[in-house]
Amino acid sequence: MIPLLVWLDKALSRLLVMLVAAIVICVCWQVLSRYVTHTPSAYTEEIARFLLIWSGILGAAYAYRTGAHLGLDLLVNQFSTLWRRRIEMLVHILVLMFSLLVMVVGGICLMALAIDPGQYSSAMEINMAWVYAVLPLSGSLMAVYALAALFTPFEEDQ
Amino acid sequence: MEYSGLILLGVFLLLLVLHVPISFSIGLATLVTMLLSIDFMPALTTLAQRMVDGLNSFALLAIPFFVLSGVIMGRGGIARRLIDFAMAYIGMLPGGLALVNVAACTLFGGISGSAVATTSAIGSFMIPEMEKKGYDRHFATAVTTASATTGMVIPPSNILIIFAIASGGVSISALFVAGYLPGILVSLALMTVCAIFAKTRGYPVIAALPISEVVKRTWSALPALVLIVLVMGGIISGIFTATEAGAIAVVYSLILAMGVYRQIGRQELSSVLLKTAEVTSIVMMLIAVSSAMSWILAYENIPEVITQVLLGISDNPIIILLIINLMLLFVGAFMDMTPAVLIFTPILLPVAESLGMTPLHFGIMLVMNLSIGLCSPPVGSVLFVGCSVGKTSIAKVIPPLLPLYAAMFFVLMIVTYVPGVSEWLPTMAGLYNQ
Amino acid sequence: DAQDTPRIIRVGHTLDTSHSVHLALEHMAGQLADYSDGKMQIKLYPNGQLGSERAMVELLQIGSLSMTKVSAASLEGFVPQMKVFGVPYLFRSDQHRWQVLESSIGQDILNATRSARFTGMAYMDAGSRSFYMTQDPVNRPADVKGKKIRVMNSPMAVQLIDAMQGAATPLGWGELYAALQQGVVDGAENNPPSYYSSRHYEIAGYYTLNEHASIPDVIIASNHVLNSLSKQENEWLRRAMKDAVNKQRQLWNEAEQQALMKLARAGVSISRPDKTPFYQAVEPLHQQLSETNLGPLIKRIKAMRGEE
Ligand code: NA
Ligand code: NA
Repeated sequence: MIPLLVWLDKALSRLLVMLVAAIVICVCWQVLSRYVTHTPSAYTEEIARFLLIWSGILGAAYAYRTGAHLGLDLLVNQFSTLWRRRIEMLVHILVLMFSLLVMVVGGICLMALAIDPGQYSSAMEINMAWVYAVLPLSGSLMAVYALAALFTPFEEDQ
Repeated sequence: MEYSGLILLGVFLLLLVLHVPISFSIGLATLVTMLLSIDFMPALTTLAQRMVDGLNSFALLAIPFFVLSGVIMGRGGIARRLIDFAMAYIGMLPGGLALVNVAACTLFGGISGSAVATTSAIGSFMIPEMEKKGYDRHFATAVTTASATTGMVIPPSNILIIFAIASGGVSISALFVAGYLPGILVSLALMTVCAIFAKTRGYPVIAALPISEVVKRTWSALPALVLIVLVMGGIISGIFTATEAGAIAVVYSLILAMGVYRQIGRQELSSVLLKTAEVTSIVMMLIAVSSAMSWILAYENIPEVITQVLLGISDNPIIILLIINLMLLFVGAFMDMTPAVLIFTPILLPVAESLGMTPLHFGIMLVMNLSIGLCSPPVGSVLFVGCSVGKTSIAKVIPPLLPLYAAMFFVLMIVTYVPGVSEWLPTMAGLYNQ
Repeated sequence: DAQDTPRIIRVGHTLDTSHSVHLALEHMAGQLADYSDGKMQIKLYPNGQLGSERAMVELLQIGSLSMTKVSAASLEGFVPQMKVFGVPYLFRSDQHRWQVLESSIGQDILNATRSARFTGMAYMDAGSRSFYMTQDPVNRPADVKGKKIRVMNSPMAVQLIDAMQGAATPLGWGELYAALQQGVVDGAENNPPSYYSSRHYEIAGYYTLNEHASIPDVIIASNHVLNSLSKQENEWLRRAMKDAVNKQRQLWNEAEQQALMKLARAGVSISRPDKTPFYQAVEPLHQQLSETNLGPLIKRIKAMRGEE
């Protein structure tokens, strides 16, 4: 389990770095192409949008892993350590539910609709399933991270 | 379902106090509400579709850009040069260092989209500096905390972009230009309070710098000032859109930090990009689920019901706007700005519009109001960072913060009841036609 | 008592509540309630409350929305046949256009949607798109040469501007006012009501009714929802739809006339150029398209020109 997690973390952060770098290059190219070559590129706008969707939703799994998502800890801070731990388990179970139901199942249904009957993007005319694929991918990663958090012994996270 | 609005709110609040991350609280509450009137599988698929569709916007691309340029500049030694620059021009006034603190925060806000970044960048130098010169440390922390929020309305501003998306199409360029005047007004109001405070406390006045030093400091800050002009001028003149201004800011700050100031190495670049992905995706996840939430709100006609309830309280727009402001101050006390904007824009914008307020005016009011919440207890990210940078506690910072809150509230009231403060500049720039 | 609760048809669109389409759909709601004796009700979601046109098409496929009005351009990604409406100067007149839409060709294109899990119910009028410019009017295709023209994000729209050697600039509709003001683009193109209501005429005061593209609006319904209706309910819905279509065509004509009148009163220079040089300018594009999958459809539509 642990080596797999280490590998996943590494792969995910590499992918995120590449996605953000690609967004920057893409939009810079768009500005350049409009003012330097005077022929605006119709594709870069769409590519940049799709890359943002990918990095945003995939990054959400990374942010969940690093515990960076915003939350309200006013009430739970009043509880004893034992109850805090119990509530924390419940939170991970809820995240697991959301990622499996909405992102994996809902995302796969959405992909299925884009494949058959088929839906294509307006500029590049790529199948929209490629865009929607980030949902089940990120959802599965979140599920893995949620399970990892659930099975991490209590001592380790203090 | 008549009660769907209450169920949405109830589930959301329950999950929130259980410390479920806000984005998942919104997502799960939306899912529960959807299941009341939509079948299981279509509900799951609709929620998934709203998440992706909520992010499918070119305008949102500006957010990672301004986050990235902010991260680069936070590590790039730009804050210090802005402080030196402000010192050269207003350091000799009564309460000079406090005024420099406000001015530096405002200037930094003009190149950064994050108030937290401003607090740590300016505060980590200014708070010790003020203490050294005899100022009270808690007062110094309060000044940094309050003035860091001016960058929320002064562009570049991620929160204004988020509002533009949530409102369904207010021009980001117009919003950006609209924010300058209110931001500068807050800055001036805070400076006035600081000057009075410094006078009554008898804080020392520093001597004016020789003209050669003023020139030297201006020259050294010039590259950073150029970025402010680049962002502002580019948007006003229409050479590029807000998103493209963001891309330019990234390239420019990279050149500045790697080439000119040489404070970021090439190997640091990937950690900068990863940090950007993380910060951005927290916001993106919030936007994604909020887009699903505002969809189910519309589907169940909830904003309409709330509008009728609010308009039923009074037929005086002045009173309703006051109620809205007080309500938002309460929300801001507990909730971070991004989720608050995403949740309350679809609910309150229809009310504001039925009172004859324009979406642009409402957006500036909303963001200014929630800015106060950023530096108010119990939950305020800027307040937390300010206290940690200033090595003090929330309880100690509150007394000196009170007059600063009053100044911010005073400007908020002006912005609320005088539409021209937010609408005049963008109309002049030809970016806005209402 | 499940039988007493009325069946709710949820209809979303992206237009405002004064638009002819919205008014026609309101009329449809009244007619449907009449026909069904209150057993069927239409609930309208205007102003894009439930999403963009493309997003609402997906919601029909998913089954969480019943009906929507979209531009045929928004259906291109779902039903390739819809691309044909973007072909510039495919229709030579309004009569030709309606003749095609009401013929078996129009019906075939509507039927093509069915495999995409939604059903094309009817066409609505969205007029014809024409150029408006900030500096000089477009009297001939050569006047577009070198000019930056805002277009919708669609390959066909870009190809049209390319054919006239202009620089097509895909841009959001909401950002266009500022873009015209600041000279990011030199002009744009749309139908008279949109040109008027967007107030673009305040900056781009040269309007040439060259009418290069007539892309109809289409009303589509979710197959999930249609299949759940009884035969009787389906018939009521179709009848109410027909009433709405007739109403909309009349309202659209009025809106177009009114817009042109108000534009003229606002001092906009409106001209009606000779279209022949425009036809010639897009001829190579027609040639090129006739070799694609759209070829047979274009041929059928052109063949109908003689029957005017
Ligand atoms: Na800012
Ligand atoms: Na607060």
